[in-house]
Amino acid sequence: MSSSIIQHIIRFLLVFLLQVLILNQIEIGYGIQLMIYPLFIFLLPVEMNVFYLMLLAFGLGGFIDYFSNTFGLHASSLLVFAYFRPIIFKIFAPRDGYDLLLETNLFNMGRSWFIRSFGLLLIIHHFWFFLLEIFKLSEILYILKQTGLSVVLSFILCVLFQYLFLRKPKKEL
Amino acid sequence: MRNFLAFIRQFRVLLFFALLQGIVLTWHFRSLNYPRSQYLTTASTFTGKFYETQHEITQYLNLRRNNSWLQRENARLHKYENKSLMKLERNLVKIDDTLHKVQYAYIPAEVINSTYTRRNNYFTLNVGKKQGIEKNMGVFSANGVLGTVHSVGEHFCIVKSCLTKNINIAVMIESSGEHGFLKWDGKDARRGSLTGISNDSKVEKWSKVVTRGSAGIFPQGLPVGKVEKTKVLEGKPLWDVTILFSENFRRVQRVYVIKNLLRDEQLDLEKPYQAQQ
Repeated sequence: MSSSIIQHIIRFLLVFLLQVLILNQIEIGYGIQLMIYPLFIFLLPVEMNVFYLMLLAFGLGGFIDYFSNTFGLHASSLLVFAYFRPIIFKIFAPRDGYDLLLETNLFNMGRSWFIRSFGLLLIIHHFWFFLLEIFKLSEILYILKQTGLSVVLSFILCVLFQYLFLRKPKKEL
Repeated sequence: MRNFLAFIRQFRVLLFFALLQGIVLTWHFRSLNYPRSQYLTTASTFTGKFYETQHEITQYLNLRRNNSWLQRENARLHKYENKSLMKLERNLVKIDDTLHKVQYAYIPAEVINSTYTRRNNYFTLNVGKKQGIEKNMGVFSANGVLGTVHSVGEHFCIVKSCLTKNINIAVMIESSGEHGFLKWDGKDARRGSLTGISNDSKVEKWSKVVTRGSAGIFPQGLPVGKVEKTKVLEGKPLWDVTILFSENFRRVQRVYVIKNLLRDEQLDLEKPYQAQQ
């Protein structure tokens, strides 16, 4: 149990440093912004209380805001992410429930489940982020364009992160 | 009472979410509109140190470009030095000049963190209260105007760059003297726009846009950019002028903060008139 706590703390720091030191400095153009930190909230244990989830989201998001002069943008959208996580998990629950010992990553849960649930949450997260940042209904098309483009790239980045930093489970034969 | 408790229990997740969201959104909208504290921004000592360390590692990436900018600026300034001017009136004794009084002082600084892709972009500089930085001072670099100081920490400060929603720097077209305000639409980091230029005068393409110096933040005549195209605003007798910034906000590193030594005098003088309006 304690080893998994340490694992999550390390992941917290890793995601935070990646976001602040590297991803915030990258400019792709077309208003695209890369965000990897939602993955941290997504990979927390399934049975975790939603209150703790939201507190952690508040903490991580606030920390990133503190370091990137965005004044609560990341914290607000990560809170939305944490709020919707249990709801989405319930909707896409596997037939025989979640295995509480397994982490909800790409390898354990399968590709299609991950794309559906993480993709949907990421779309909600990004949409809220750009909506709040631009804060003009007359530019809704621009918000949607930015959301669409950024979600795709952030998603690819999160998949890459898992291939690089997570242990793949051995095939049971 | 019991109903109320039951209500809270039923919606406790949503209520908790709303509470946290409320805190965050208050923070967001308050700091956008009334910057009061430097504590939760990169002007605080902790984050400032963090970015200074990062900057120490990455500053070499743009060294060559920055050096050439500075050299060009030096060349321009050498022109005005006494030694490069030829004396025409050799018989006269030169006495100390009392016609000019120093109005602007410049504090050199370095950008240690910046953004340019957001809706509201900020720079973090490695100077703060200790170096005499105050809120609303102007900031510029060798190529042009950058923005104004947004909040100040002990050793660091945050600059609201020209790439923010309501930057409103008073600028004018150098050749004609027509003046207006600088705006940014939030999309292209190389282009801004100019509002308040009436369309009964012609605006030449590629004419220079410089600061007007009316608010006492910038001296007159600092370059901002060039007019790229003009368009008629529908229903208003105004031009919608698009300008190309002369500064590349992505690569700027060495900057100057402007201290207007006579600003208090100007503000005191203008205060009663602004109250009337």
